[in-house]
Amino acid sequence: MCNCCTTVPVTSKFPQAPNELMQKCPSLAKLSDDTKLSEIAKTVTSNYTSYHECSIKLDAWIEWYGIQKQIYESVK
Amino acid sequence: MWFLSAISPTALTLFVHAVFVSGIVISVIGFFTSKIPTIAPYGFLIKIVGTMLFLFGLYFEGGLQNELSWRAKVTEMEQKVAAAEQKSKEENVKIVTKVVTKTELVRERGQDIVKYVDREVTKYDTKFLPGGQCEIPKEFIKALNDAAEQAK
Repeated sequence: MCNCCTTVPVTSKFPQAPNELMQKCPSLAKLSDDTKLSEIAKTVTSNYTSYHECSIKLDAWIEWYGIQKQIYESVK
Repeated sequence: MWFLSAISPTALTLFVHAVFVSGIVISVIGFFTSKIPTIAPYGFLIKIVGTMLFLFGLYFEGGLQNELSWRAKVTEMEQKVAAAEQKSKEENVKIVTKVVTKTELVRERGQDIVKYVDREVTKYDTKFLPGGQCEIPKEFIKALNDAAEQAK
């Protein structure tokens, strides 16, 4: 009758990334000129914490991409 | 032929088989009709109708198999896509759980370090005040601020 009469092709939606990964990394905190030593230590700690949080998200994005690619390639 | 996709496989199969079988039956009837003298003139017409139905039926049978095999492939693909979407969602949950756990750990560690700073480092605050024994140079603060500045 016809080679393929399917009017709606089978399409897969682009996978939805988790909202937790869709947040931008925050800007790093800065110091004022008359900052105390303890404030410097706290600011550096806060910046390191921000970096670690951001690196967790980046690692998660890499993992997410790898998994989604694997899933996509398995649908053939 | 797009309308074929709207017809159920059972109805389509029944219709095609009916055309094919009726083609054979009418052809046979036509063959015998032409042997009966009283209705012999109709035999030729019946044979033509039967042959045409048989040929259409044969063509449709081939098309039906093709259509059904495509539908089976589409169904299989739809199932695979649905399974992949489900798996994708499950993996997202696992990734989010991992991110939340690790982030909590990092924040707790940061808070512990801040507590340590409050307990141990604040002792030296007066020593490092501007004009104090070991004043923190402004260049040091500038270097730290420049490093924290995002590249534009």
